[in-house]
Amino acid sequence: MALSNTQTATLETGADSKVAGHFKRNRFAYTAGAFALAVGAALRIYLDTMGFTVGTDYYSEEFQTYWMPLLYGEIIFMGSFTVILSVYFWMTRETDASSISKELELSRYWKLLGVFTVMGVWAGAIASNAVESDAAWHQVTIRDTDFTPTHIIIFYFALPFLTAMLIPTFIWTHTRIPAYMNKISLPFLAVVVGILMIMPNYGFNEWGHTFFYAEELFAAPIHWGFVFLGWSLFFLVPLAVQLFTNMGRLIAETTAEDYNQHSA
Amino acid sequence: MSQAQAEEITEIEAKRRLLDIKSLDNPKALKLYRRFDGILILVLFTFLTLGIQIQFTLTAGDWDYWIDWRDRRWWPLISPFTLLLFCGAFTYGIWYRLRLPIIATAVTTLLCLVSWLSRYLNFYEFANFPMSFTFPSTYIGLAILLDCTLAMTRSLIVSAMIGGGLFGALVYPLNWSFMAPYKVPVEFNGTLMTVADLMGYEYIRTTTPEYLRIIEESTLRTFGGSVTPLTAVFAGLCGIVVYAIFLYAGSWINGLDKYAKRIV
Repeated sequence: MALSNTQTATLETGADSKVAGHFKRNRFAYTAGAFALAVGAALRIYLDTMGFTVGTDYYSEEFQTYWMPLLYGEIIFMGSFTVILSVYFWMTRETDASSISKELELSRYWKLLGVFTVMGVWAGAIASNAVESDAAWHQVTIRDTDFTPTHIIIFYFALPFLTAMLIPTFIWTHTRIPAYMNKISLPFLAVVVGILMIMPNYGFNEWGHTFFYAEELFAAPIHWGFVFLGWSLFFLVPLAVQLFTNMGRLIAETTAEDYNQHSA
Repeated sequence: MSQAQAEEITEIEAKRRLLDIKSLDNPKALKLYRRFDGILILVLFTFLTLGIQIQFTLTAGDWDYWIDWRDRRWWPLISPFTLLLFCGAFTYGIWYRLRLPIIATAVTTLLCLVSWLSRYLNFYEFANFPMSFTFPSTYIGLAILLDCTLAMTRSLIVSAMIGGGLFGALVYPLNWSFMAPYKVPVEFNGTLMTVADLMGYEYIRTTTPEYLRIIEESTLRTFGGSVTPLTAVFAGLCGIVVYAIFLYAGSWINGLDKYAKRIV
């Protein structure tokens, strides 16, 4: 019995086991997803610890020490992340779509889905952690700045980071995957532009709040711009249709040869 | 494009479609299809969660955050309005492409899960409001009715007429059992109020002034018991109209699985 257990354990942890193979295929999604969750958790702990203790008075020294450097760091990180990756993906773009084999093309689709998985993990973390933390904050605090602790984490990092991931991914897809090269996917563009435009809408939102900073009604019409731009997510359905049409064909073609040989 | 070219493309397309069908007998292809399905479901559901959380927070959030806000006139009207809007746009694509009548149930279930998590983390842990004051309402039962109508009738129009109407009309009855303890009358300093009102006065929030403006407006306190059924009928009408409009919007978005040569 003991020998049998040892053998099983060896098989399961071996390099060729199903588990190892599964992790190897999806390691980008697992690693980057875990990293994104760790960053989100760290920010959440920071908000819980520092939000009410040193985050309620913008003009205090503590606020300038503990919150503003975080904001500057976020802006520098996200700006660099988006620009460096976008420029790199553009400069190293494929010029000849015909030189890309079907197997390579399919592997790039899996990579794309891996990136979307990480974005999905990030989106879920925003939904459960970030969105209503701002709602709760504003119910007990009267703002004296646009850069409140919850805004520094949601408005200036969590949501823009989604854009920071989407823009390079959009460029990568349109320069690496033949079905998207030399043309533009309309649903993909709509998703990217919709999420991107949330950032300029902050300006309108915060300008509007200068008129009623002491009260916070979340259903106020001034917030509806975010709702409208969030509708860009409706375009995920046609984007998914594009992906499963293209990938379905590729899977059928790349596996057909093996299957025919085995059948024969 | 000449007729010969068109015929050639049709022939290629026919071969590809045949290959697609044949691949359904291929275990290797099926394994990859299932992997693709899993990733797609994860990504779509996490983005759906973010989308509905943003939409609901910024349109009906105030009514859902606080038990004292769940009045007889606005809450049962606004909540189904905003939920059906979101469900309509997604339902068209998923029903048309995949014949899955699941979107309303998925959206309300995801909203329920994320709202409970968010209320605990943000309103209870972060801002120290009691859960008994901030627990979310439920809409899952309404969504099951809507999706079942679509599954049984297989008609989007009939599902909008019956399911959309029921979704709008039954918000109050579905949540009544959760809300009943908070509607018990109490006398406080010589004034008759509900338990929910009393909790609201104990927890002054930045939305309190707006709440007082809304709650004391016109006939909300004085129109007897007929406000609730009147609102239900009007919410049913709104449910039918909004769901139908956004099904139409969904049909337009669903047709945009296209590529453009250039944008401007």
